[in-house]
Amino acid sequence: MLTKLAINESIKVILCVERLISMSPRWKWKGAEAKALAEPVSKTVSELQSSLAQTEASGFLSSCNVLLSVEPEQADLLDRCCFGRTVVSAEKDKRWIKLSFEEAFFLFYKLKCIKISLHGRSLENEVALWRSMRSFKTNFAISYKAYSHLRSKNWIVRSGLQYGVDFVVYRHHPSLVHSEYAVLVQSISGNDRLKVWSDIHCSVRLTGSVAKTLLVLYVNGNVNTENMNMPLCLKDYTVEEQTIRRWSPELSREDETRT
Amino acid sequence: MEEKDWEVSSSSDNEAGFPNDDDEEFHSGGSVPKLQFRVGSSKARWIAELGMAEVEVKRGKLWTTTGIIRSGKTYCFIEEALYLSEIGELQILGHEDDLVIPLKDLYEKMAEEKSGCSWDNYEVYRYLKGLGYILGRNGISWTLKDAAITRPNGEEESACAGECLEDKDTVTKLLGDMQICDAKAVFDVYLPNSRFKKSSPGEPSFVACFSGDSPPSKEDIKVLQKRIAAPLMFCHVAQGRASFFSFSSIDLPVLP
Repeated sequence: MLTKLAINESIKVILCVERLISMSPRWKWKGAEAKALAEPVSKTVSELQSSLAQTEASGFLSSCNVLLSVEPEQADLLDRCCFGRTVVSAEKDKRWIKLSFEEAFFLFYKLKCIKISLHGRSLENEVALWRSMRSFKTNFAISYKAYSHLRSKNWIVRSGLQYGVDFVVYRHHPSLVHSEYAVLVQSISGNDRLKVWSDIHCSVRLTGSVAKTLLVLYVNGNVNTENMNMPLCLKDYTVEEQTIRRWSPELSREDETRT
Repeated sequence: MEEKDWEVSSSSDNEAGFPNDDDEEFHSGGSVPKLQFRVGSSKARWIAELGMAEVEVKRGKLWTTTGIIRSGKTYCFIEEALYLSEIGELQILGHEDDLVIPLKDLYEKMAEEKSGCSWDNYEVYRYLKGLGYILGRNGISWTLKDAAITRPNGEEESACAGECLEDKDTVTKLLGDMQICDAKAVFDVYLPNSRFKKSSPGEPSFVACFSGDSPPSKEDIKVLQKRIAAPLMFCHVAQGRASFFSFSSIDLPVLP
């Protein structure tokens, strides 16, 4: 429910999530759905969490990502729940994974299973990491809120750049199911998207051409700039979801009769 | 079922409902599709004070899905009058005389946008009507149950009907419009239906809304959705083409 609050800084995150015309997920092969049911995402994430925590997996922060060093089995777990991208290397006993800020912060702050260092020093508290990431990436706070909102519902979240959006979400691993939604993140204070009709046409058409539905996610928060310096501000944000779909009158008629 | 002996070219969609590129719209010979109109047979009289036409002669079954009934008479809004005139089904007569108001004057009336319908609204009306949908103005009943209303002093019934016309409807509209909102609900749209009855139209498939130059804000959508039970469809008209978008609140399920 949205009321006009006296907000110092209201942040809107618009996640445009596209969906297929049919309401059900498109599984990629015959046994895919069963396989997905047998191994829920939450379970794999749990396994990942304990594994990483156990080995005290650690990575280091750069200006555009976090590079995480893991064991081969852990790399496999990361892949199964789609965190990060593997860096191809000749090393046999170690794997390097490139994590986006959102992914890294999620593992660090939410799942508390990795350590991150900056300039050779391990960052103990989340505030320092939060601030660093915010300094490197504009709208990180909004982007992260959107990311963690989706991950918390156990959806797989990946970059949507190739579709002209911010994220794409899957019900399960991309090898099992097609993505239903494309996510576009928008901040009211930053450069707005979907402000004019041609933006709507463009985004809906683009995501429709790859069989996804546009879902708008609004994040509202009663936050002032001071609070935003700490990840605690995240709990003050609320998230609302909204789909945008184009309707074709020609295709929708029952065509009983024409009067 | 009324036979339509005219054809309208509508842009056919490909790719999950998207119109063809403009390139394909132009016929190579530059020829316009042949339109055949039946010579207008229904007649209605334009009543300036109402901004509506009172139907005097009805021909054809189209009146089961056009016009509102008040005190046993049928009245049509500017968009209905203009559409029917365009397709040659209706002739509009002047208030004072029996001269047929030419299409040009009707277009002017529409352009003035003083009768509750803007040109954008009309583009949508015309487009959907051409596809067979049934449209009525949002907030205005097709017919009122207590239809018989007479004035004691024997004043012209049409004037009385004009007042009563907006009676209940106006109040509801006013209440509904109290919340400031840039977006407006304009038409109730029903799927094509040969058994459509004005006395019990049922719920519309959706309500066509207009938000003007910009897409509707989340707040405006909320305001409208609170007032209207039916799904909302926001119309955008540009280059004479109407597009329809739905903005729906959902709750992404929590997966196992």
